[in-house]
Amino acid sequence: MPSLNEQLLLLVALQDLDTMIREAEDKVHADKLQAMGFPLEGVDDLRRARKELAESIERPLLTRYERILGRLGRAVVPITGDVCLGCFAIIPTSYTSAENRDRILQCENCGRIFYWPRGT
Amino acid sequence: MPESRAKAARGRVEEGGESMNHQELITLFSEELFIADLKARDRDGALQEMVDHAAKAGIIRDRDVILGMLKNRESLGSTGLGLGVAFPHGRSLAIPSLMALFARSPKGVDYGAIDGKPVQLFFMFIAPPVEKENRYLPALGQVVEMIRDEQTRQRLLEIKSFPEFRSLILGED
Repeated sequence: MPSLNEQLLLLVALQDLDTMIREAEDKVHADKLQAMGFPLEGVDDLRRARKELAESIERPLLTRYERILGRLGRAVVPITGDVCLGCFAIIPTSYTSAENRDRILQCENCGRIFYWPRGT
Repeated sequence: MPESRAKAARGRVEEGGESMNHQELITLFSEELFIADLKARDRDGALQEMVDHAAKAGIIRDRDVILGMLKNRESLGSTGLGLGVAFPHGRSLAIPSLMALFARSPKGVDYGAIDGKPVQLFFMFIAPPVEKENRYLPALGQVVEMIRDEQTRQRLLEIKSFPEFRSLILGED
């Protein structure tokens, strides 16, 4: 079974893919990229990649991710300093220790899952 | 310096109501993310080499996440826009702030570009999902516009250092 850290990274990758699909389907964003010359024809390929990636995530965790995503739009959010960038609440100092940064923790205020892009 | 390039360097490019001038643009690049001699010869190898370079510079935490994102982005449609230039780009949680990397491949990379030709110039932009200053698309648009100039592309193939790259972007040479 993949480690917690690997599961968190799969969630991060899934969130990145969901962001990409959402932007490709957003007309304003897509129009800007197409005006620059970028073709955006492979959305179905992205959906297939998403399905495959989702299947590699443990079912309860994926369910939790999907539930947060459906409710709040973004399920995994970066932490900058001590602030959840989902709801801008300050997170408890007990969450910010180095050993906690590879664990799957949720914001007590908004429920989104934390990710530290700057490492430990 | 040709007047057309000088004019472009002074001017601002509008991208959907957002704009960025060359002074702002150059602040996104850095010497540590300047690759004068990319070794890889195929698309995945080139992406990996650029991401590894950024990871070694300490810009990226989880390089596999970034690499996966960039490969997925290519399956949406090639970022090799032709004329020997590619713009691998996308958003990822695994980056704390907007990152810009320039790489040059003297021998060329088989990148699956729109025109089928090898790519020698790479401008990589990776942005976080939430970016307060909203510089990602304006920066990308500015470079896409700049690179349409043949002399600019030719100079980018000739420069040897980041200071030369900086001068070129600023229209100083």
